[in-house]
Amino acid sequence: MTTTTTSSRPARAPQVRRRRRPARSPWLHVAMVPLSLLWISPIVFVGFVSIRSFDDIAARGIGALPTSISFEGFITAFEGGGLWRALGNSIAVTAGGVFLSLALSAVAAYALSRFEIPLRKTILLTMLAGNLLPPQILLVPVSAITDSLGIYDTLFALTIVQVGFGIGFYTFVLYGFMRNLPDEVFEAARIDGAGAGKIFWAIVLPLSRPSMAALGALSTTWIFNDLIWAMTVLRTEDKFPITAQLLNMMGGFGSSWNVIAAGALVAAIPTAVVFFIFQKQFVSGLLVGTDK
Amino acid sequence: MNHSQTTVSRRNLLLGTGALGLSGILAGCVGGGSGGGSQNGGGGGGITFQNSIQDTSPRAALEHLVSEYDDGDVTMNSVATEQFRAQLTNYLRSNNPPDVLTWYAGSVARNYAREGLLLDVSSLWEGDGACANFSDALRSLSSDDDGNQIFVPTQYYWWSVFYKKSAFEEWGVEPPSTWDEFHALCEDLSGQGVIPLANGIGPTPWMASGWFDYLNLRINGPEYHRELLAGEHSFTDQEVVDVMEEYGRLIPYFDPNMTSYDNQEAVTPMANNEAAMYLVGAFVTEYFPEDQRDDLDFFSVPVINDSVPTAEEAPTDGYFAAARGNNHEETLAFLDYMASAESQETFIEMSDSGYLPTSPDVDTSDFSPLVQKGIQLLEETEEITQFFNRDGSDALQATADDALTRFLAEPESLTQILEDWQRAAEGTFD
Amino acid sequence: MAVEAPSRTEETRTASPQAPQRAPGFGARVLSRLRRVPMLIWLFLLVPVVFEVFWVFWPALNSFSLSVTRWDGITPAEPVGLQNFVDLWDDPIFRTALENNIIWIIGFGGLSVVIGLALAVALNKPGPMVGLYRSAIFLPMVVSLAVTGLFWRVMYAPDGPMNASLGLVGLESLQRQWLADPDLALYAVLIAAVWRQVGYIMVLYLAGLKSCDESLEEAAAVDGANAWTRFWRIVMPQLKGVHTVVFAVTVIDSLRTFDIVWAMTRGGPYNETQLLSTYMFQQAFTTGNLGYASAISVVIFALAIGFIITYLVRQSRNED
Repeated sequence: MTTTTTSSRPARAPQVRRRRRPARSPWLHVAMVPLSLLWISPIVFVGFVSIRSFDDIAARGIGALPTSISFEGFITAFEGGGLWRALGNSIAVTAGGVFLSLALSAVAAYALSRFEIPLRKTILLTMLAGNLLPPQILLVPVSAITDSLGIYDTLFALTIVQVGFGIGFYTFVLYGFMRNLPDEVFEAARIDGAGAGKIFWAIVLPLSRPSMAALGALSTTWIFNDLIWAMTVLRTEDKFPITAQLLNMMGGFGSSWNVIAAGALVAAIPTAVVFFIFQKQFVSGLLVGTDK
Repeated sequence: MNHSQTTVSRRNLLLGTGALGLSGILAGCVGGGSGGGSQNGGGGGGITFQNSIQDTSPRAALEHLVSEYDDGDVTMNSVATEQFRAQLTNYLRSNNPPDVLTWYAGSVARNYAREGLLLDVSSLWEGDGACANFSDALRSLSSDDDGNQIFVPTQYYWWSVFYKKSAFEEWGVEPPSTWDEFHALCEDLSGQGVIPLANGIGPTPWMASGWFDYLNLRINGPEYHRELLAGEHSFTDQEVVDVMEEYGRLIPYFDPNMTSYDNQEAVTPMANNEAAMYLVGAFVTEYFPEDQRDDLDFFSVPVINDSVPTAEEAPTDGYFAAARGNNHEETLAFLDYMASAESQETFIEMSDSGYLPTSPDVDTSDFSPLVQKGIQLLEETEEITQFFNRDGSDALQATADDALTRFLAEPESLTQILEDWQRAAEGTFD
Repeated sequence: MAVEAPSRTEETRTASPQAPQRAPGFGARVLSRLRRVPMLIWLFLLVPVVFEVFWVFWPALNSFSLSVTRWDGITPAEPVGLQNFVDLWDDPIFRTALENNIIWIIGFGGLSVVIGLALAVALNKPGPMVGLYRSAIFLPMVVSLAVTGLFWRVMYAPDGPMNASLGLVGLESLQRQWLADPDLALYAVLIAAVWRQVGYIMVLYLAGLKSCDESLEEAAAVDGANAWTRFWRIVMPQLKGVHTVVFAVTVIDSLRTFDIVWAMTRGGPYNETQLLSTYMFQQAFTTGNLGYASAISVVIFALAIGFIITYLVRQSRNED
């Protein structure tokens, strides 16, 4: 996992053109090595907890270092396959949710940024305002709505709700990027006779790739780590995403922290993978509005 | 001219396709939803059992009971307590509610019953129903305003001061039998460098109510306690001041770290023989490492004022059923199974925790000595209360958390704290 | 994967069959087309808007209408006019929560933006190890909040690493029960939240920095401008779009912060770390005052709108 993402990619070569800057000072590493260690310490900590036994945690407290290795936590976490199912649910909802929300907000942002739609600023801000609502208070009405639509307790409902609560913000971000796309590109395409749909598909989407990738990574972490909506529209354990399943493991009077830690480690893998894939995308991706 | 017409027609077409696509999606989702719904709901296809039991062993015990049930199809969903609480009203109001739900006896169940959301389970309480010979106290606890039963209690547990026998031996001390002895014991332990009282009131501030309840029961008696929690007395009364002053005398004995711990973390110092005693529910046994659980024993908080009846706290858990469920017969049959003496016995044996049966027919001779002692404690006491939030309300509990944790941090501002408490409590009674 | 939805292409192409036949237009024609908004575009706009209205604004309206009632979620709601808002004003816990939220917006927002931007600038240029550093900073994002809360509770535990390291450097006098001290608990939680947020902000700024024109900076370097000046005069103005996004993210997240506080302190000790969102949750679902909780949510919403609209209006004024 040597994520030296950028330097080795040939695609970047033209951008890094011209003379190289003088070598970096070693101070960057002096500062960043301890900082990075500090930042990853929780993962290490969770790893430590996951390989301790319950009795060890009960006797010596959760903060103690492991003295022996036990896979009790992992074994219990995966017992009965509940965790795998939950992981599958999470991935399904996240994939559907991210795709749908990016698709819907991309078309909305395109419409708002490149066409003279009356009151477009107002529409944009209103959409953004929708994202400012505190979700806790919408729990009751949202679950009532899904119930009356007959989609309560389905993964479909969870995906839809996630999308509804994401598009305002995504549209707002994409609007900013798309508005700054150089006009000349559009003029040229229009002169070539491309319609609004074709321009969107052939020009706007490819140019927005970096911002879409960044948003994709953000929304993946948001949707994947969401708990509150899962708690709102689902009630059957088989349909729970991983977050609700983890919460399920830890509530109550007694918590088996080693099991939770093991589950949490497994739960972190998909988001981590997606992030590293997308990171390549937007770090090495196309530049927006550079040629202005 | 010609030109623009084609444009228009194309637009119409597009709009049409769009609308069609949308309605297709909607139709798809509604169809999919109702399909999913009927699967876990009614229509003779079994029942749903929604529970908020999360401790590992009790949950495994429940799963075992459900899997052993042959007379119908039961889908069991375990849900985090907070989610369960937040969604409970939605569950009950839903068009397709879970049929059986875990809850505790008391005011909340009655409120739901008033709205007609709970299934009348009186049939289980008569004839050869599973609850027919439960105690009168349990019967009244499970009844709504009209005297119909809407709740099926299946187990309860007790609160007491838990300690480790081996540790007491090591320190050369004995469980106290009077309040003065208790104080002397705390002094003695302090002198030996041991923390006399463990507690965890950080993320679980309601643990501070344990001592409040018991001191109030011991000083002012159960009747006053119930009335206070029902809003019939003021928290600024001299009676409450007395309780708080007694509580204040215990402050030096508490673990100074209790404000950082939750009720589970509070056990670690005890497991390591750094702390001695813990006033807590019998669920605490599960927090100890397995090899220490048999070492646990308990004693009741000693009498302080012998002119009031003895009382113990014993929160009662059980089930109620949704009135809107569409499978009442199967629901009642399942509840009858869960409340039966055999099921209770299995549950208690498998749950590893200090639960007591509500059914008098359970053969308790095989239970652990600790549980036997718990049964005896509750048999001998004159009155039984539940816990602050169950005798009062969850709203009142929030005011107690605020007042008591603040008091433990700054006991000198008692007057102000009690005034604030009373003001906050008044807001919850209307 | 969202970037390459393949099935759309054909559809879109057939949707504009007449386009190629169009005469290559003059400037005027292009302008008039720009003014006319094609049907497809209306559809593009309408679908997401309807979606959001239905799933966000409709329930929100439902919810806000509860703010003028007293409702326990069980018995029928009883209209009480503006009483809830009057009660809020006199509610000491609400005031604490409001003050805390303001501290939170400034502290949490300010710190995570400053650190996130600094890290983005430091880690923008490729180099050995830089990818690893970036990954490390982003890593906290992938751990669920409940576990994050647990980790930080351990960090702050009475004999946890925080106190241990203070003891190690001889600062025993600074050792505290961080989460139990009413004066410190909020800041202790705030640090934990910033630690997690910095990764987000850094990612946003990294994406923004990628789109900055390097040649401008290089030209300035040739002109002898030092790094500090180049950053403020050349890089910062180019990040304007990202600043807006970061501002929006920060305000939204500050007002929505819930899980981490809930996991670490539940708003305690005695409500000293209560934020508006946690207090609202407590009112709604622990104590069952849904009407009162709705009134709190109206306040949160008003605050968010206030912050964001003020910012955006000021910004668009600057543009003009």
